[in-house]
Amino acid sequence: MTAADWIVLVGSLVGIIAYGLYKSRTTHNLEGYFLSNRSLPWGLVLLSIVGTQASAITFLSAPGQAYTDGMRFVQYYFGQPLAMVVICVAFVPMFSRLKVYTAYEYLEKRFDGKTRTLTSLLFLLQRGLSTGISVFAPSIILSSLLGWNIYWTNLFMGGLLIIYTMSGGARAVAYTQQLQMIIIFAGMFLAGWMVVHKLPAGVGFTDALHLSGKLGKLNVITTGLDRRGFNWSDQYNLLSGLIGGFFLALSYFGADQSQVGRYLTARSERESRIGLLMNGLVKVPMQFLILLIGTLVFSFYQFNQAPVFFNQTQVEKIERSPLADSFRMASQNYARIGTQKRQVVQSFARALHQGDEQRLAATTDTLRQLQQGADSLRARVRAWINSPQVGGDGNDTNYIFLRFVLDYLPSGLVGLLIAIIFLASWGSIAAAINALASCSMIDFHRRFSQRPIAPRREYALSKWYTLGWGLFCIVVAMFTYNIGNSLIEAVNILGSLFYGVILGVFLVALFWKRIRSGTAVFWAALLGELVVLLFFILSRTGVLPIGFLWLNPIGAFSVMGFSWILQHAFPPTKSPAG
Amino acid sequence: MAAQHTDRTPSPDKWGLWYALVLGVLVLLIGLFTLFTNYFS
Repeated sequence: MTAADWIVLVGSLVGIIAYGLYKSRTTHNLEGYFLSNRSLPWGLVLLSIVGTQASAITFLSAPGQAYTDGMRFVQYYFGQPLAMVVICVAFVPMFSRLKVYTAYEYLEKRFDGKTRTLTSLLFLLQRGLSTGISVFAPSIILSSLLGWNIYWTNLFMGGLLIIYTMSGGARAVAYTQQLQMIIIFAGMFLAGWMVVHKLPAGVGFTDALHLSGKLGKLNVITTGLDRRGFNWSDQYNLLSGLIGGFFLALSYFGADQSQVGRYLTARSERESRIGLLMNGLVKVPMQFLILLIGTLVFSFYQFNQAPVFFNQTQVEKIERSPLADSFRMASQNYARIGTQKRQVVQSFARALHQGDEQRLAATTDTLRQLQQGADSLRARVRAWINSPQVGGDGNDTNYIFLRFVLDYLPSGLVGLLIAIIFLASWGSIAAAINALASCSMIDFHRRFSQRPIAPRREYALSKWYTLGWGLFCIVVAMFTYNIGNSLIEAVNILGSLFYGVILGVFLVALFWKRIRSGTAVFWAALLGELVVLLFFILSRTGVLPIGFLWLNPIGAFSVMGFSWILQHAFPPTKSPAG
Repeated sequence: MAAQHTDRTPSPDKWGLWYALVLGVLVLLIGLFTLFTNYFS
């Protein structure tokens, strides 16, 4: 990194902290601290919702995913607009009418205290751990690529945002997210423009699209069908995106306090709804554009030599292992294929410009064969790195985009892109620790306190909870390493284990007024969690392979089914709220 | 009660149009993405 990069990076980070502190003036009570006095306009709510969902992993992993697997990952977001509508119809009016601070508060009004405690506890557990991973994920990437110390990187990634989150609560979180999103979108647009600019003379944006399309990277819509019918273990296709993605989004936006806490800050029910619906409109195109950058990077590497493996730390590991010679030969072969590809791809571009269909078809065939060869070499290298002889991490998806940025983008822009990684992290982590603190304070401390607590004292305690959860996430980050094939999936898998069950409880509460026994729902949630774990284990062991997105509907329907059965055994505890 | 007066929540019919817009855009996007996938493959 050059001096210009450091100036841009440090300037952006210090600027955000200063802006967060400037916007920290809140009334010294719980509503001011956790809900910004329910005063924010829908535009700010929208950016806050988007900023909370889009972590650093989104911006690092998505282009890498497009590079390796194509654009089909975008289907994962197809269920989101559907979920936004259901949330606006059912969840928002209930939360607004009851003036709750946390989503789980509603469950006590609807059922009983233990159902609220259980769901809030599940939220604290999964969100606390996944936020720790959200600190660790970008830190390990920056640490590997830039040679930074992982402990210090974790500390900067998870620590500095605590300053403004602790001081200004939800208001500071929302305002900093607004500024962060502006910087992130500007930076990503610049990066995309630079990729096209770096293509050889005479090769433009649409040529790059034709090239990546012919090599299978523009597979935005996939059916998940193969010779044996629908493939349930296929992670991203139209059906899993619409159904699995719908349940995941419903759960995330309806029953996860880190999102519920964002739209509860809106100045009215109307502003909450508009913010959520706008999110439903913009999310899919936004993700499409981020993935498109990945396919452009893929096209760029057809004209330039790509590394056989993008994570240099793991390359150094294999070079010191007994597999060093095999790796060296694979690298040489990969470079040879790269040279052949560069010759053919020039011919492909000329054929495209001249409209020479015959030569286009011939060069496409050759390129596909060469790409297959390159892919199989990369697969072999990944397997070697994963093997016990090397004991490394064979997944470099999260490294592809940043490796490109560091190798090819000009000074200053590199600093901006690294700043984006920090800012995207801070946006989602700040919202998460604000939500974790609100649940700790409202669902546990205040609820189980023997005596009434003075508003000033509640405000001070909330700040301490914010600090405590911030430190907890840093500690988790320090201990996390390589828990899934891809970090983005690791976070989602963790979410899917609990999300479906929490959603099931909310669905029973909102749509099944006949079920009034809190005890039945409580036990149904525990049994539902066991069912989800069973499916997860069966899938992991290969007995019943299913994509992780399906765990959400399984969890939700299990809770609904068990609730219906168990309500016959337990008497009603409450009449329906609302 | 004051909050209810300032909350200019549109009638269910008006929200219905909003919901139709969001779902319509999703259908449109899936259609466009299908064309995009086929055109460039």
